[in-house]
Amino acid sequence: MTNGDYTPLLLSLKVAAISTSIVFVAGVFFAYLFAKKQFFGKSIIESFFMLPLVLPPTVVGFGLLVLFGKKGWIGSWLIEWFDFQVVFTWIGAVIASIVVSFPLMYQSAVAAFESLDKKFENVARTMGASEWRVFWTVAFPLAWPGLLAGLVLSFARGLGEFGATLMLAGYIPGKTDTIPMAIYFAVESGQMEKATFWVIIIVALGFSTIMWLNWWSKRNMRRFSNDVKRR
Amino acid sequence: MKKNVLLFCLFFVLLLSFGCSDGGKVKEDEEQVELLVSAAASLTDVLTELKEEYEKDHKNTSITFNFGSSGKLAAQIEQGAPADLFLSASAKDMDNMNDKGLIDEPSRIDFTQNSLVLISNKDSTIDLNSFEKIDSAKIDHLAIGEPESVPVGRYTKEVFEHLGLWEPLQSKLVMGSDVRQVLTHVEMGNADLGIVYASDALISDKVKVLAKADTEWHEPIVYPGAIVDSSRHKEEAQEFLDYLMSADGKLQLEKFGFK
Amino acid sequence: MLKVHINKQLFHYDLEVDFTATSEIIVLFGPSGSGKTTILNSIAGLCQPDSGEISLNDQLFYGDKNGSLPTRERNIGYLFQDYALFPHMTVEKNIRYGVKKKGTELNLILEKLLDVLGIRHLLSKYPHQVSGGEKQRVALARALATEPSILLLDEPLSALDSETRTECQNELIRLHELWKIPFIIVTHDMDEAKKLGDRILFLEKGTIIKTTACNR
Repeated sequence: MTNGDYTPLLLSLKVAAISTSIVFVAGVFFAYLFAKKQFFGKSIIESFFMLPLVLPPTVVGFGLLVLFGKKGWIGSWLIEWFDFQVVFTWIGAVIASIVVSFPLMYQSAVAAFESLDKKFENVARTMGASEWRVFWTVAFPLAWPGLLAGLVLSFARGLGEFGATLMLAGYIPGKTDTIPMAIYFAVESGQMEKATFWVIIIVALGFSTIMWLNWWSKRNMRRFSNDVKRR
Repeated sequence: MKKNVLLFCLFFVLLLSFGCSDGGKVKEDEEQVELLVSAAASLTDVLTELKEEYEKDHKNTSITFNFGSSGKLAAQIEQGAPADLFLSASAKDMDNMNDKGLIDEPSRIDFTQNSLVLISNKDSTIDLNSFEKIDSAKIDHLAIGEPESVPVGRYTKEVFEHLGLWEPLQSKLVMGSDVRQVLTHVEMGNADLGIVYASDALISDKVKVLAKADTEWHEPIVYPGAIVDSSRHKEEAQEFLDYLMSADGKLQLEKFGFK
Repeated sequence: MLKVHINKQLFHYDLEVDFTATSEIIVLFGPSGSGKTTILNSIAGLCQPDSGEISLNDQLFYGDKNGSLPTRERNIGYLFQDYALFPHMTVEKNIRYGVKKKGTELNLILEKLLDVLGIRHLLSKYPHQVSGGEKQRVALARALATEPSILLLDEPLSALDSETRTECQNELIRLHELWKIPFIIVTHDMDEAKKLGDRILFLEKGTIIKTTACNR
């Protein structure tokens, strides 16, 4: 029923995996930086980060076209210097995914770092640890459950991204057709069997990722909560 | 005391209702009719302009439009949404409505036609003056409507198949979910070429028309209109439909790229 | 020798203290909110005084002109009230966290600590698997394993039951005799202050109102 064409599945996984990796690194970096420091304009930057969460996907997509289009601010620069085109390529799908899933990662990471008891980092400092070591050996592992939740949410969001992707990456069968696009156009053209097939695939993917997260965090919480019970 | 107040109220209500029905009788000849027209989105600009003119000549009629994709409008009417006149961009949707007995069949008429045009960005340097000369090697992207779900895409596919260009152009096609998106891709310079309705190309000042598709190459792009069967203002609806077919109406439609 | 002379504006009052400490046990005694923990944090560099000077031996920790030495360069040991053992590391990893070199000399110190505190059997366990008294000993071992020049203890025994408490008090005194560095202990328990302290500084609303020397 899909003519043995599994490009949407592979493409979706590739796009979500790459965008999630980038979003994870950037989200953790900014969250750690911002959770510790207060500075002028912080709330403005944070609101800007959160914007894609409240804007309709087509608005986000249009904004991305303005930035990354052939004549866009960033897009024209990329073409001129690197002969690299974003619009109508799978890279465009990655960028759209990054923009819409970043707020989820950022928010989870900020919550994770803010709920972290400062005494753990402080005690590491008294033992001579550098800020870099404090982050890698204390803050990051202790915040990991929260960071992982953000990671999984970002992956799920990236997998399901449609509106902005359609604008920036376009719909080019075999090149930029992610699962949500395959579903949309199958439904619109009345190919219900094809639509159902892809809906089952994406539901299974989303469902199993979130199930896994729940299972994992429950198992992990048990380890941390024992500490509390004993006291 | 209480009784008196009640009586007074009753009297007042009676008086009020009398007054109303009386006033209604006097003004019956000039009763304001609100005509509800469900129209295809591609007609937005022409109908909005036409409405002003029309309401000037028909003082007792005010027109309210409901614009949307033909399929969605048809579904709305089927669900019981109020409408007097249905102006569709696709014969298929009108056929469906007819099969379900939702329209007044004798009133159905194709009131205008649209055509396909090849467009490029206004600043584009592409030297091209016909569909046949589109060279897949010379372009990066050609924006069209998705052929299975978007009417303009279906007609485009017919044109390219007729010209034997469908296969060679395959890798260059960027498909939009509606004609507006196709236009945007060309307007912003992301697609080198695009194929849209003549009426869409006309209202955008950021694109130029390179060529017109021969009407022989595709099924005629007709706009059927019909009076909705449940309408209570069939007379006024017919009047508006007639106006669209009149010389005045045709002139307006042509101004916006229809014919 | 530790010299502390600092001013800091707090929420309800101004903290203003001036004291020195040699290799003795100083107890900061006072009601909660009297500024005890702020003094410890200032010595550790976890918060900054508004003005004044803090130095240990010849090293300036804080000076009005020189600014503040980062916590990691102060070579201090700090025992937090609830020990702050890293929950995701084994006892052994916790104790080794601050150990920089891996020479035999250092291993001797670790061995000695494990024996003195009797925690060798806990090495492979996680913090949530050991009791309150054991946690306190592990935290002590961790703080001393870095060979600090001073040990700061913030209500180190308040989380323990009375029996373990007495045991640990004795242990602290024994460790101090072995290590011979200044111990600054914060407490609001008078008996404990008397038992542990060489000197007791009585704090109220940010000032030292009385200093008592004790004879243990």
